[in-house]
Amino acid sequence: MTGAAALVARAQGAGAGKTRGVPMAAISIEVFSDFQCPACKMLHEQTLRQLVVDYVDRGKVYLRHREFPLPGHAFSRPAAQLATAAAKIGRYDRVADVLFARQDYWSRDGQVEAAVATVLSADEMKKVKQLALTPEVRNEIEADMREGEAQKLSQTPTMIITHKGRNYPIAGQVNYNILRRLLDQLLGQ
Amino acid sequence: MQILKKIWQPAGRVVLAAVFVYAAWLKLKQPYLLFALSIDAYGLLPEWAVIGLARTLPWLELAIGLALLAPWKRVLRPALALATVVLGGFFAVMVFTYARGLSIDCGCFGLGDKLGPLSLLRDGALVALAGVLCWKSRD
Repeated sequence: MTGAAALVARAQGAGAGKTRGVPMAAISIEVFSDFQCPACKMLHEQTLRQLVVDYVDRGKVYLRHREFPLPGHAFSRPAAQLATAAAKIGRYDRVADVLFARQDYWSRDGQVEAAVATVLSADEMKKVKQLALTPEVRNEIEADMREGEAQKLSQTPTMIITHKGRNYPIAGQVNYNILRRLLDQLLGQ
Repeated sequence: MQILKKIWQPAGRVVLAAVFVYAAWLKLKQPYLLFALSIDAYGLLPEWAVIGLARTLPWLELAIGLALLAPWKRVLRPALALATVVLGGFFAVMVFTYARGLSIDCGCFGLGDKLGPLSLLRDGALVALAGVLCWKSRD
């Protein structure tokens, strides 16, 4: 796929609604995570929020979320389905935020829908529940997982930073100061 | 058997040298700040030390690797001693971090090299090899 075609595919393809920023940004970051993973919660709340402010919303980084529910987490797949469904109605960020914020609760009692319902209207929740069960949503999650396996992911979270055709995978929690220096170095090249 | 006795030390040094040079190459071919993130994940050093180590350790690994191939004993002995100390230090940190239950990449050979029983076994074997070669180099 040519560079321009890849950019268009990036903006329009599966994953739309789970992306943020300018598709043509110099750096793209794909974040593979599991909503039931504590390290993913820390990355989401401590690193990605700041990354969005400093780089994504300034057009320097294009961010894409990908689901990688781990087999050991009983409720991470329903969470991924609901979040991916919410992306279809433009509510991914809101749902992702509440899933991570309330992770301690729903990961124990399995009440994932109840957590999501706190940030959606009744109408939105009805749509999301319906969409979550569609093959489209299931296939999107499967595609994310296949991509993660192709990248030889061994854990979540894993960020894949892409710059000038080169991939730089980073697994686990990330020191934001060092990440910032890395991004500035890449942007300066 | 006699042949084995003659070649095991040089062969062992070549193996160690290859490991050090390969590890250095993997780190030097990417931005040093990526390696800094791996070091930081251990949660043992302040940021300034993490950055310093990320900048210098790959070059030290390369130097040790090349020195292990030197034909002169006055280069070889210190190289073996340094290799043993460096590998021993890595191994101790890895054991301590694994005991803490942290799920991180080892950082030894790039992404996917998870800290766990296999990587501990591998690095433990390398420490043992370096230690024995260092001991025998005194003969």
